[in-house]
Amino acid sequence: MGSLLQVIFDAAALGSLYALAALGIALIFGVMRLVNFAHGDVIAFSVFALLWPSVDAVAVVFAGNLPWFLLIPFVLAIGAGLSVLSEIVVFRRFRRANPATMMIASFALGFVIRYFLLMLFSSRPKSISLLPALSQPVEIMGARIPLLQLITITVTIAVLLGLIAFLRRTRFGLEMRAAAENFTMARMLGVRANRVIMGAFALSGALAAAIALILGSQTGTANIMMGANVMLMAFIATVIGGMGSLAGAVLAGFLLGAVATVMQVILPPDARAFRDAFVYGAVILVLIFRPQGLLSARGTKERV
Amino acid sequence: MSLSVARRTVTTPILLGLLLVAFALLALVVGSKPFNQTIIDIFLKVIFVVGLWVFIGNSGVISFGHTAFACLGGYIAAWTTIKPMLKGTAMPGLPDWLMGMEIPFWASAVLAAGWAALWALIFGAVLMRLSGIAASIATFAMLAMVNSIYSNWESVTAATSSVVGIPIVRSIWPYLIAALIAVFAAWAYGISRHGLALRAARDEPTAAAASGIDIPRARLIAFVISGAIMGMGGALYAHSIGIVTPDTFYLGLAFITLSMLVVGGMGSLSGAVLGVLILSSLIQILRWLEAGIEIGTTTFALPGGVQEIALGAVMILILMFRPAGIMGNRDLSLPRGAASDSQGQTGPKT
Amino acid sequence: MSLLALSNVSVRYGRLTAVRNVSFSMAEGEILFITGPNGAGKSSLLRAIAGVTPPAGGRIDFEGHDITGRSPEDIARLGVSMVPEGRDVFGGLTIEENLMVGTGMHARERGWKARAATELEAVYATFPILKDRRHTQAGLLSGGQQQMLVIGRALMTHPRLVAIDEPSLGLAPNITDQVYERLIALQAERKLTLLIVEQSSTRAMMAGGRMMLMRGGEILLDGDARALGQSEAMQAAYFGYGEH
Repeated sequence: MGSLLQVIFDAAALGSLYALAALGIALIFGVMRLVNFAHGDVIAFSVFALLWPSVDAVAVVFAGNLPWFLLIPFVLAIGAGLSVLSEIVVFRRFRRANPATMMIASFALGFVIRYFLLMLFSSRPKSISLLPALSQPVEIMGARIPLLQLITITVTIAVLLGLIAFLRRTRFGLEMRAAAENFTMARMLGVRANRVIMGAFALSGALAAAIALILGSQTGTANIMMGANVMLMAFIATVIGGMGSLAGAVLAGFLLGAVATVMQVILPPDARAFRDAFVYGAVILVLIFRPQGLLSARGTKERV
Repeated sequence: MSLSVARRTVTTPILLGLLLVAFALLALVVGSKPFNQTIIDIFLKVIFVVGLWVFIGNSGVISFGHTAFACLGGYIAAWTTIKPMLKGTAMPGLPDWLMGMEIPFWASAVLAAGWAALWALIFGAVLMRLSGIAASIATFAMLAMVNSIYSNWESVTAATSSVVGIPIVRSIWPYLIAALIAVFAAWAYGISRHGLALRAARDEPTAAAASGIDIPRARLIAFVISGAIMGMGGALYAHSIGIVTPDTFYLGLAFITLSMLVVGGMGSLSGAVLGVLILSSLIQILRWLEAGIEIGTTTFALPGGVQEIALGAVMILILMFRPAGIMGNRDLSLPRGAASDSQGQTGPKT
Repeated sequence: MSLLALSNVSVRYGRLTAVRNVSFSMAEGEILFITGPNGAGKSSLLRAIAGVTPPAGGRIDFEGHDITGRSPEDIARLGVSMVPEGRDVFGGLTIEENLMVGTGMHARERGWKARAATELEAVYATFPILKDRRHTQAGLLSGGQQQMLVIGRALMTHPRLVAIDEPSLGLAPNITDQVYERLIALQAERKLTLLIVEQSSTRAMMAGGRMMLMRGGEILLDGDARALGQSEAMQAAYFGYGEH
């Protein structure tokens, strides 16, 4: 019983991470058909914003010493700010470009961000202690669940509910949903393209920063590559979820988390190191049978 | 395809080939070891980028995953050319027949091409059914998958530690020959029936499908050929530095090769080759600056990472202002061959 | 002063010219039908006016403002409401949400919420079926209902000019009748200026008003719908008789 519960919590926590990342990818894809390869580097950047530039192995903590109620908004603002900045400086100029060109540009931008971090902090992972109180375990029905896992799951659910409320109840959310379905039509109804796109980038960046906080607390390290794996899983989730569908991306994110966790449990110990490879393989197999995605919804035809 | 097409377009690979030969001769004249290594590195990049072009340039599908084939090739070099004794300690899990194998470098390159082609066929059979963005993401997943396997399969790849002892080939000629093979193979594929069909499908997908072109199959052929070229390049890369790790062939190499292709122009073979030459020169200059230049008694050095930042910036600017790359879909040819041909590869440039 | 004025407007897609040096103007409160065969450039003309495809040449003025090359949202905010061909409803949004999207442009004005609510009731009064299904996803509506929805949605922006591309496309004749009945009534009630693109001239002749005939990207005829419809020149121009 306890171990089953443990697995469920592991799956939900990992899935939360993937779902948040997938949401960040899908939000931007929805409004401008951009597959944002810089997303993982926004995650890494948000963690490094807490440190003072230095190439030593020991992190020189700077903003990381803030109390949590200042630290969290600070990190979220950094993620949102970097994301919006990337739209203003780079992606705005690609509005009329085809999706492939935009995708390569985002790939290049991701490298610029990553090597900017490398220049300031070197490529060595640094150990940080971010919100250390969260690594305490709690006992629930015989299972020892790290507090961080509970918080991750709770935060994800809260973020999702908040986002749903935002999208359904606010004017800006309504405009964003309309724009995600048919951008040109939304503009013909007076919806301001730049505002909606900047809003999507800000939300996406804040989501990346939330992931950064979770990953940073979980692993206790800051690494310039830390976003890459999550981003890749998020891409896969958006493909499985049907490109551009927010609900699909979230569901697929949780699904991937569950698959990865279950594989971790059922694979023989020798093969566990290959868990991610198995997940990628499974995804590629899924795509043979459903190239349009596993959960692709009605309203999400790919715009040409 | 017809001989006339071959005759009309053959000037392109010949000119590109002469350019490469000129680089080799330059290395010979300069005769310094580091410069020799730089030129070898350029030839390797030519192989990779030309391999990438065979798929991306002809199909129009962006692949982030081709360095996976270079990885497959690189480890073939490790498996087949390292002395058995060394292999036993680093990679104890290899089967006996492979453990005892010690073949010359050129044979390992050929084997690597075949091995990579085999896996390109297997992956491609699945991936080529996807279109556009989903296909690009799937190639990325393929790269991550290969990297994840090679980084964890301790007994046959030594996981993330460097595999050392691969015989180093310092002569420039094998690399030149391999680069020439890549260029001519890419050209021959480009003017073949399959290459033309694939470009037609890239430009007019609906019309091409209507006229009976099996697009997934046409893409698969390009994928396998480009995989083979990447595999060969991967093995030679291993022989040029003597060591391999999975991360040698991961995102860094993917980024550099893709940026070279983008900057040169993915629409033409000349763009692929010139992109390498231009960006390699830029990288070289940045490397010197990173190493530091002495002015008087003080050394000015750029911090590490500036190289990639500059490359990224160049790539973004090129995409912004000249999305078709420096060559703009044109190929090098002699002035008298200026008449445009059916693939829109027109006119002299430069 | 005319509400909308085009002078020498051309629209090109790559090497293809869809609209060639078109000039015309519309007075406030006017109904203008643009008819013509497939590929005449009618939709391209509307897209140019709405700012979706910026004209390659010429000038477009709306209420004295030069709107050539302005963004679609700016043009919409000036009071040009576009109903594109193919009933572009936001399928995943409810009917009411669809209707509300366009009211955002007035969100800076005082009392806009109350006005949007009044407007909503007015649209529901015109199209009662929409009110009955207000919380239904728009993608689930029938073609005729979707057409009513997009017209209602255009009205919600409080436009001066409504441009509609092929309101009858894919609709049964009796549904088309309904749609037109409402349109004409609305026009009279609100002093709307209507620009309607239709492939056939029958509707224009039934509804009356002004009609222009386009072919090959140019305007061939311009005049009273009923008079033009019966003329031989119309037949000739539409089918291209006597051009050679």
